[in-house]
Formats: sequence, structure tokens, C-alpha cells
Amino acid sequence: MGNFPAAGNQWRVIALMQPGDEELYRLMRNGNQDAFAQLYERREPALHRYALHVSGSPAVAEEVAHEVFLQLMGPSCRFDGAKGSLESFLYGIARNLIRVVRRQGPVAEVVDQPCEHDILGDLIGNETTAALHRTLRDLPERYRDVIVLCDLEERSYEDVALLIGRPVGTVRSRLHRARALLAAKLKRLNAPSEVFSR
Amino acid sequence: MTCPERIAELVECARREENLRESLRMHLAGCTGCTERWEAELQLTAQFRKIRLQAAEWRPPEALRESLLDRFARQPRPVRFPSWGVAISGRSAAWALAAAAALFLSIFLSHAAGVRTRHARAVAAEARVAGLGQPYRYESSTDASALSSDDFIAVPYAPPLAQGEIVRVVHTELEPEALASIGVAAVLAGGLHGDMSADVVVGEDGIPRAVRITEGAQ
Repeated sequence: MGNFPAAGNQWRVIALMQPGDEELYRLMRNGNQDAFAQLYERREPALHRYALHVSGSPAVAEEVAHEVFLQLMGPSCRFDGAKGSLESFLYGIARNLIRVVRRQGPVAEVVDQPCEHDILGDLIGNETTAALHRTLRDLPERYRDVIVLCDLEERSYEDVALLIGRPVGTVRSRLHRARALLAAKLKRLNAPSEVFSR
Repeated sequence: MTCPERIAELVECARREENLRESLRMHLAGCTGCTERWEAELQLTAQFRKIRLQAAEWRPPEALRESLLDRFARQPRPVRFPSWGVAISGRSAAWALAAAAALFLSIFLSHAAGVRTRHARAVAAEARVAGLGQPYRYESSTDASALSSDDFIAVPYAPPLAQGEIVRVVHTELEPEALASIGVAAVLAGGLHGDMSADVVVGEDGIPRAVRITEGAQ
């Protein structure tokens, strides 16, 4: 325990030395592949999970996460640091892509579409969470986003407010409303089985 | 405190998995609505925790990462001019470079005309001494004004000579292909093709700046 403060300081220094997203973006736009790789490793997992939870499909999630970074590196990328953070920009791209996918029709159920990445397949394929995911997908987008970001990604209200471009109070009230809707829907879904089990 | 206010607090307690304070617990004992909501919130929190734990193990597939990095490496890079503070895309860069090349070429050609005026007399004198300078028809791919039987043709795209740079005139045998490779085409007036004698003006850096065909070999 005597060494703990020193180790803590060391980590803090290392953390401070990490370049921010915007700096990595600037470097990657100048052709720095390492910066792009670092940005990808930093942001891809959370974006992928976000796309998975929102779309409910590992295939769509993979495609969306991939496309987000393709757009980021593309010549038509319109990120403007004055308008918000790069992370918020990336979530915006992912959100728009998922909207497009959803507009095209219902995404394929994961059970019908085996995926190479079993953890994600198992995640949704698991019975205990499948109903929750289905209910989550049926929520209006404004509620779905805050559930995914606040409760599944454990982001603070302040973070989420920045990511979706809404006040903190709006995020909190949407989350409470979303949880109430989820609870009510799950209760309705569980009710027949409870009656049956009696 | 009303039930909706208590529910807002219940939701936050459930999310943070905190214990309820005493007054809330007492309220739950007598309020069915709030109790149901509290239990539903606890279930939701438990299910979300389970999903989080499973999803936390996920890492992006290496193949996807590699394909993106490969794509990144292959895509055209924007060109940045630090002193101008602007970055331009690949297509714009091509136009900018073309414009710069055209500007450079025009400067070079006007400079080459100066080279001719400074050095051509000496070179021509040397050629006359050598008894060269037969009538050939010369074609320059870039400088039609240089067509002349006894003058030098500027080599296109060659860097301009520095002020006061000393040039050498090298008399050599050249194949038409060698001339073509530096952007100068030469065709014998009589329609014969073959090796030809030429005077080549060479800068201090060894790069040819101008060529004069003096004689067709055969």
C-alpha cells in the first residue's frame, strides 16, 4: 500500500500524456496512421456496443462501426471541433446510419443470423436479455439513446448531454421516462408467464 | 414529498445500487405503486448490469481493424501547405500541382531563353569550329518557338540554372529515344532515323538543360 500513491501518480501522468480525440483526428487527417489506429481502438468498442444495443443486430453493429470510421477517414468528413467533440460527432454518424438501416425495414434477428463474434451473439441471444433488447429497440429513439448511453455504457448525465446535444435535465428526465416505459413493457411481457407459472 | 418525486429518487437509487434512506423505505411499506416501481427498477438495473458485463468483454475483430488501417494507408492524402494554413483534398491538390507545374514551366522556358542568349553564341561558335550544324528539322514537344537549325532546344521540366552557374557543352552521340526521354523529339529532314550527334548543355548538377542536334549519324 505504501507504493500506491506513486503508482497512482504515474498512471495520472500517463493519462495526461494521452492525446485527445481532436488531436488524434488532426494527426490522422495529416496522414498519421498511428493516430487513426489509436482513435479506432479508443472509440470503436463503445460505438460498436452502442450500435448493437440500438439496432439489436451484431451484423448491423459491425457494419455501422466500420462505416463510422470509413466516413471519418473519407474526404467528405465534416467534423468541426467548434460544434462539439469528436466523440459526439462519431455517435452522430452511428445514429444516422442506424436510422437509415431501420428505415429500410426490421433488422434480421440475431438467432437467424449467426455471427462470428460469439460474445455479441450470446449477448442478445441470451433469453434473459433478449426481451429487454427487443423492448429497448421498440422505444422511441430519444429514450433508447439515453438508456444505452447512461445505463448500458454507464456514461454520466453530463457526458450524455454533450453526446446528444441536449441539456442535462432533459437527459435525466428522458432516462426516467425511458426506464418507466421499459419497466411497464417488460411487466406486460412477463405477466402471461407469471400467470402461467402459477 | 409526492410519489412522483419519490419515484425520481428511487430510480436514481436503483441505478446507483444505493440503499434507500429510512423515510423512503417507510413510504414503500405503505405505497403499492412506489413499491412496484422500485422492484421493477431493481430488476432493470440487474439486467443492465448483466448486459454490461457481457458486452465489456467484446473487442473489435482484428480483421476489421486491419482492413480499415489498410484502407487508411491506401487512400490519397490531403496536401497541406503549412505557411498558407490550408489543407486541400487529393483532387484539388492535383489541380494545384498542375498549376504550379505550368507556372514553373513558363518561368523555366523564359529562363531557358535567357540561357540561350547567354550561352548559345559560345556553343554555336564551338559547333561552327567543329563544322557541325547541318540542316535538321527539330521538334520540341513543349517549345515550338525553339525550332531552329542552329539553336538549342530547352529541355522541358529541367530545373532552371542558378544565377552565374557554369554550364558545360558536351558533344555526344544520341539515339532519338534518348532525346525523347528528356522531352525533345528530333526527326531528320531527310526522313532518316538513327543515332545523331548532339551538343548538350549540362548544368553543374549534371542535368541537361538544352540540346542541339548537330548531325545525323546514319
